[in-house]
Amino acid sequence: MGISSTLTITRTPVVSVRDAERVLRTALSRGGDWAELFWERHETLQLVLDDGRIEDAITGVDQGAGVRVVNNANERTTYANGNVTDLDDVLALAGRAAASVSEGDDLHDAARLVPDDLPKPHAVRIDPRTVPVERKVALLRRANEVARAVDARVIQATVSYTESVQDVLVTNSDGVYRPDTRVRLNFMINVVAKQGDVLESGFESVRGTRGFEMLDDEVVGECATIAARRAALNVGAEPAPAGTYTVVLSSEAGGTLIHESVGHGLEADLNLKGLSVYSGRIGQKVASELITVVDDGRDPGQRGTAAMDDEGTPTQRTVLIEKGVLKTYLSDHKHAEKLGINRSGNARRESFRYLPICRMTNTMIERGESDPDEIVRSVKDGIFVKKMGGGQVDVVSGNFAFEITECHRIREGRLAEPLRGATLVGQGPKLMSEIDMVGWDLGYSTGTCGKDGQGAPVADAQPTLRIPSVVVGGKLT
Amino acid sequence: MTQRLTNDEVVDRALASLRGAGVRTAEVFLRDALSGSVDTKDGQIESVIARGERGLGVRVLDGQRMGFAHSSDLAAAGIEHVVDQARRMATITEPDADLQIASTKLDVADLAIYQSGIEERPLAERGAVALAVEQAARQADPRVTHFRKTTYSDAEITTIIATTTGIRASYRESHCGAMTSPVATQNGERQIGYHGEGARRMTDLDAARIGGRAARRATEKLGAKPFATQKLPIVLDPWMAMSLLGAISPLFSADNVLKGRSLFSGKIGARVANERVTIVDDARRNGGLRSAPFDGEGTATTTRTMVDGGVLRGYLTNIKTGRKLGSSSAGNARRGSYASPSRIGPSNFYVEQGVDDPAAMVKALDRSLSITSLLNLHTIDPISGEFSLGATGTYLEHGAPVHPVQGITIAGNLTHLLASIAGVGTDLTFGPGGIGSPTLVISELSVGGT
Repeated sequence: MGISSTLTITRTPVVSVRDAERVLRTALSRGGDWAELFWERHETLQLVLDDGRIEDAITGVDQGAGVRVVNNANERTTYANGNVTDLDDVLALAGRAAASVSEGDDLHDAARLVPDDLPKPHAVRIDPRTVPVERKVALLRRANEVARAVDARVIQATVSYTESVQDVLVTNSDGVYRPDTRVRLNFMINVVAKQGDVLESGFESVRGTRGFEMLDDEVVGECATIAARRAALNVGAEPAPAGTYTVVLSSEAGGTLIHESVGHGLEADLNLKGLSVYSGRIGQKVASELITVVDDGRDPGQRGTAAMDDEGTPTQRTVLIEKGVLKTYLSDHKHAEKLGINRSGNARRESFRYLPICRMTNTMIERGESDPDEIVRSVKDGIFVKKMGGGQVDVVSGNFAFEITECHRIREGRLAEPLRGATLVGQGPKLMSEIDMVGWDLGYSTGTCGKDGQGAPVADAQPTLRIPSVVVGGKLT
Repeated sequence: MTQRLTNDEVVDRALASLRGAGVRTAEVFLRDALSGSVDTKDGQIESVIARGERGLGVRVLDGQRMGFAHSSDLAAAGIEHVVDQARRMATITEPDADLQIASTKLDVADLAIYQSGIEERPLAERGAVALAVEQAARQADPRVTHFRKTTYSDAEITTIIATTTGIRASYRESHCGAMTSPVATQNGERQIGYHGEGARRMTDLDAARIGGRAARRATEKLGAKPFATQKLPIVLDPWMAMSLLGAISPLFSADNVLKGRSLFSGKIGARVANERVTIVDDARRNGGLRSAPFDGEGTATTTRTMVDGGVLRGYLTNIKTGRKLGSSSAGNARRGSYASPSRIGPSNFYVEQGVDDPAAMVKALDRSLSITSLLNLHTIDPISGEFSLGATGTYLEHGAPVHPVQGITIAGNLTHLLASIAGVGTDLTFGPGGIGSPTLVISELSVGGT
């Protein structure tokens, strides 16, 4: 049976300007000072090939809305949200949010709404929903075949393709009425290799806020090859040592370091509470002068890219640290106002189920001036990190940890034996002031960042970096 | 206004639509949840969230192919659409002879997992729990100066499953939880702590205890020093042990075992842990946070000993993997929401209480490191079993604290960790994720530091 397209959704119309005005009026009917409606329709398709078979084919629609009312007198925010089918459901949410505001306050009128379509950071050339499912299945099979042919020790591969089309509308009592559509694709492969009793896995992904043009046989084949090589390399690798070492982080390793060691600490919500190691330090030197850190929500096609954030603020390129000096924080509406800084377009939410919080988008350390090969040659005995995995930071102390999924020993300025099972730990500001070489290259990685129970698609990037001394977690023999 | 269908009407319509389309084997899963949460800041309520969610998941088994679709649009047309999509999805997947839709009649079990009326209680009453937690943390220690976040949350959830093969069952459950992350300050140093607990009934949440424990999690890190790279015995209190135990559970998944992704493949009857260790998965624990009468594909849940005195006794199974292993499903299909496919996972999963007094166990060690927080738990690879985590801890001599440590890592392999459990305490405690553990002493782990 041939299927031309897997998603043929009958579209519910987005809340119209007139309807939105009614919703906001209802939300403010009991005396709130500011109201907002966030409406969302999220269509997903996920195909999973596991153990050589197409095992899962899943599709769905998640449609809902949330109405937020802010009451200035007691600085209280009320957020009523839920799945919605029609306008009555949305109005019911507005009534529910309004009901928690104490009566008798001055009534505020919502400003007249001005519809506004923001310029897109990039074009989506091929809507994935128009691509036949056979094509998507063929990509999964191709990745599976390529991965299994890389090394005889490869015993298993799980490949998945996820397409996500999120239509949102943000409208608020300041007069904002802005729609946005985020088309995201996520192609992932996890390969297992076995040698004796040892099992190791290798992961690689291709993800972006782009259309189907980002995927073809070559791209998924390369992705599969990298994952399979990584699994095979790790299964034959020695356990990483534990101790303090000079570390070179390849640009290929991705940007988990900047995300964990600095990025979270620059989120405005934590800084307003005075909780971050970077609190109150705007204008001060917080890193080596080789370090410039940028968050760019408009970086074309990247996983953290969108035309606007989830409060309707246009995204932008924000310089956070310039030549070692702290410039600003990543902010949302509320915290920008309280801290007296410009809104940076970093209010993000996982879905209509949550209030937006200050988040990163695509965060990077900018290119430096050193030759990446020269950076490796400069190290007599150290560790070369080729790929980073996930990480976590305690923003209060600045202590962070991140996983290393592929690394080698450096001996006499050359890459030597592969190592497995390493983690890097350190303290953000300390590490950032110690980095002493920054390469002229730049490499990206993608992930899903977790904060306060909400996931957000992000990308990170960095050039090749040298850290003179950092704690590497591994095993003692 | 569109007519809002009741939950049973939605299920009936979906079944009728499936039959109308000639589908012989299919399953309809509905979840309806009301939930609320309150955040506090400096003794005041800062934000209030009220949520109402309802959605439908439909699995169609067409011959030996399974398709799955979900939707939150439960108007008549939306239900037709989700059924149609599930049928289409079943044309994409590949056949597996062991796939089946549940057809074994379910028993009725009262597991004490529901307290009615929670969502009807006024916000002031529910928000008061969060305020009490915050206050308790402040009162516990004068060095507690800030809070990252303090939250109370609750939910009332209805789950219905119905199959074309004659199963129809439902249950209701309630959840309440409170957590706080206080920050302690001393001589310019700041440390954050975290503690959260969950319960089925509001009266079972102890705000004073939650706040007090959270405060200690922050203050115990003050004065932290670097620590030299070394091997030494590790003490995991119940809360720290739970987080590692959660990472071990995928080793028991029959799906991972069958696909060569588990270090427990082929190990039934073999020793996989120290003889002191018995691990139980009990989906029928009275009032348990992961208790349910049936699982995500409509199979009755069970209570099973997974590891008995260190010996592996079984795997976690669903219908498909149970058949592949020549037995029936043990009821371990878990469903995070109506929109997620069922995946094998544990329920109330715990290490049985041991015989050792926790304090005496630690006192008997000349030198040890008691872990106070772990970073990067989500990066533990259950396939290789390897872990290397950021950590803070307290260095102890003969059980007495010498000083806190930070900026360290602990590393090892989950299988070695199980084998080197040298002491199991008498203080079994369950956490908010349904996982339980007593205090564990690990004979030796690699600690990375300066």
